[in-house]
Amino acid sequence: MASLLNQIGAVTALNVRSIPQRGWMSVASVVAVALTIAVLLFFLALSNGLSQTVKGSGADDVAIIIREGSNAELNSVVTRDQLSILTTGPGVAQRQGRPSASGELLVIVDGVKRSTSTNANMPFRGIGAEGLALRRGVRITEGRMFNPGTNEIVVGAGLLREFSGFEFGKSIRLRGTTWQIVGVFEAPGTVFESELWADIAVTQSLFNRPNVYQTMRIQLSSPDAVKAFQDWAKTDARLNGLEVLSERAYYARQASQSSAGFMFIGLVLGIMMAIGALAGALNTMYSSVAARSAEIATLRIIGFSGWAAFFGTMVEALMLSAAGGALGILLAFVAFNGRTTSTLGAGFTQLVFQFQLSGGIVFAAIVMAIVIGLVGGFFPGIRAARQRPQLELAAQ
Amino acid sequence: MNDRALMWKNLWRKPVRTILLVVSITIAFAILCVMLSFNDAISNVRTLPTRMITLSKINFTEPLPMAHYDRIARMEGVAVATHMNWFGGYFQEMPRGFLPVFAVDPETYFQVYAEDLQIPAEQRDAFFNDPTAMLVAAPVAEKFGWRVGQRIPIKSNIFTNSTSGDSTWEFMLAGTIPTPQGSSQTGSVLIHYDYFNETRTFGRDRIGWVPFLTTSAELNDRVSNAIDQRFANSADETSTNDEATFNKSFTAQLGNIALVITLVVGSAFIAILLIVGTTMALAVRERTKEVGVMKTLGFSSGRVLRMVLGESMLLAFLGAGFGALLALGLLAMAAGAGGGGPPVSLAPSALLWSALIALGLGLLTGLAPALQAYRMRIIDALGRR
Repeated sequence: MASLLNQIGAVTALNVRSIPQRGWMSVASVVAVALTIAVLLFFLALSNGLSQTVKGSGADDVAIIIREGSNAELNSVVTRDQLSILTTGPGVAQRQGRPSASGELLVIVDGVKRSTSTNANMPFRGIGAEGLALRRGVRITEGRMFNPGTNEIVVGAGLLREFSGFEFGKSIRLRGTTWQIVGVFEAPGTVFESELWADIAVTQSLFNRPNVYQTMRIQLSSPDAVKAFQDWAKTDARLNGLEVLSERAYYARQASQSSAGFMFIGLVLGIMMAIGALAGALNTMYSSVAARSAEIATLRIIGFSGWAAFFGTMVEALMLSAAGGALGILLAFVAFNGRTTSTLGAGFTQLVFQFQLSGGIVFAAIVMAIVIGLVGGFFPGIRAARQRPQLELAAQ
Repeated sequence: MNDRALMWKNLWRKPVRTILLVVSITIAFAILCVMLSFNDAISNVRTLPTRMITLSKINFTEPLPMAHYDRIARMEGVAVATHMNWFGGYFQEMPRGFLPVFAVDPETYFQVYAEDLQIPAEQRDAFFNDPTAMLVAAPVAEKFGWRVGQRIPIKSNIFTNSTSGDSTWEFMLAGTIPTPQGSSQTGSVLIHYDYFNETRTFGRDRIGWVPFLTTSAELNDRVSNAIDQRFANSADETSTNDEATFNKSFTAQLGNIALVITLVVGSAFIAILLIVGTTMALAVRERTKEVGVMKTLGFSSGRVLRMVLGESMLLAFLGAGFGALLALGLLAMAAGAGGGGPPVSLAPSALLWSALIALGLGLLTGLAPALQAYRMRIIDALGRR
């Protein structure tokens, strides 16, 4: 056993030292693996960042009520009567003697995407007096909150980074009325950071949707209270056709909807490119075996086993693909990890998020690089092990 | 044995290597073709220079009052105007059953989009005469297996039907719209606005947006200014643009697709360029002795150069051809699986680009080894081991 290890060590050293002889080919296969890994990481980080942002928006102890079957807020309708019935449910938290609940209406307004100067859909949300308190982690970083009953808007910091038209202090005209941007809020890692907020009653009247709500958010006393609240809502006929779920569950559902497509594209492209990179790795290794046929034959004649030749080739392939994988991951970290971007989210409005690599994603990339190395070394390794020493030397 | 046969033999002297190269080239070209086809499908919708669209200045999802339509239709420079309303339609379940259903005014809609609505007269009349009729883009009808004359229940995720009390409307399939490459009607489902307006429970007498034709493209700017000024400072201000501008800003919403395509396809091609290039160089180096023998036999340097270059060209075009075929298969699979949008077919421009890039790839990978063979002196070639 020890002698086999020694033999493998010797052959590996021989292989590795001869890499410079096949310099360009080795570099080519390293770069091919690196690019494959980078493309895979691009889409997985995109999908992950999108999904994390959406998922991160929901709290466990806040119930959200939407119309059954509407897959986005935009399609949902909750009436004013239903709203007041809902605030009488069990476990509804009270703040200063009032139920901590917010009926909300989402309309879409145009903003201008900074990078392309094209119009883009911005979510404009009318929220109730409790709307801010219902969203933990949101804080005003510039200016102040809007005053209820006025044409004032606060804008998310994420929206401001990617889109123009809603800068702090600016006044804008919507539906023949002037609105003032009085504040900027931060809500790191949530969908809210890409929204505009204004008073619900003003939004309803100025957007010509009197007494129409789309969703309602209710602060419950604890995460466990959601179940009891759901059961209670089912028993009231006036609440028929409404769906009650925790904010976290709601956003988890949205997250899978919006990110699944990118994940799919990433995996399909990643696998296709991996097959291409594999072809490159196999070529490199076959020519490595061919170039060293005389050396391998000599070693075999002086008593080295076929296993040594096999593992020597295998280790070289793994080293090349590991170098490619490392380069690809490095490229991903430098080129796009943490970079902010935006796309059309599940609610038909722009959603600002960051490319986000995670341990699992990097692990998937490493696995892919290793698989390329293993398969890329296996077949050439077999060829190396099967060489007939006498024939090889005679041919020289 | 002629040069071509020799090239072919040379290509296959190491079959495993050649197959591997062909596979990686095939994959790069398949990625190229699929991505270009998708890009083509979303960005290259045929437009008319005289077709313009008026929508709410706030956003195109914000409805306009019906009165706007009548005023626009009477504006100077407007030849004919129509209006459209988003229905939020789907068949059976989302997202597989997603349908871009538009409630339209049939007669004027057929005038504004005349060139894309080439359907048999009896189907058109059947649509015009039955308020509950609908027209469906041919690929959509095919996807769900609908036949002309069938009544199809379509659900809306926005509106409620006042006659049934739920969100389902039943429409009679009056005909199908053929959708050649670039058609603006790809995936569309058209229903009668009047019927929809009478049966919906809210949002009555409001419309989504107003497409219209100007009498001449030179008037576009003047007409769009006149319309937007007409409604300035009202509760429903408008924004009027030509069709191409509108389409562009709409697809730009998804993100910078062109950039992503360039990056992904670019990196795939750099990878195969490196692989194929180094392998070709190696293949020629292995054949140094042979090149010496060929030159000794009287093959001119130019002929040797052509043969090496021809071999790399052959490789590139073989891969590109298989890549286009693979892309065809992949697109057909995607159409069958059916996500949200209309089916995408292989774009002719993708084939053109493939041919051009294959030419470039063949030249780039073959040139260095070919020049090496061209310059090789017999004495060095035969002497080298």
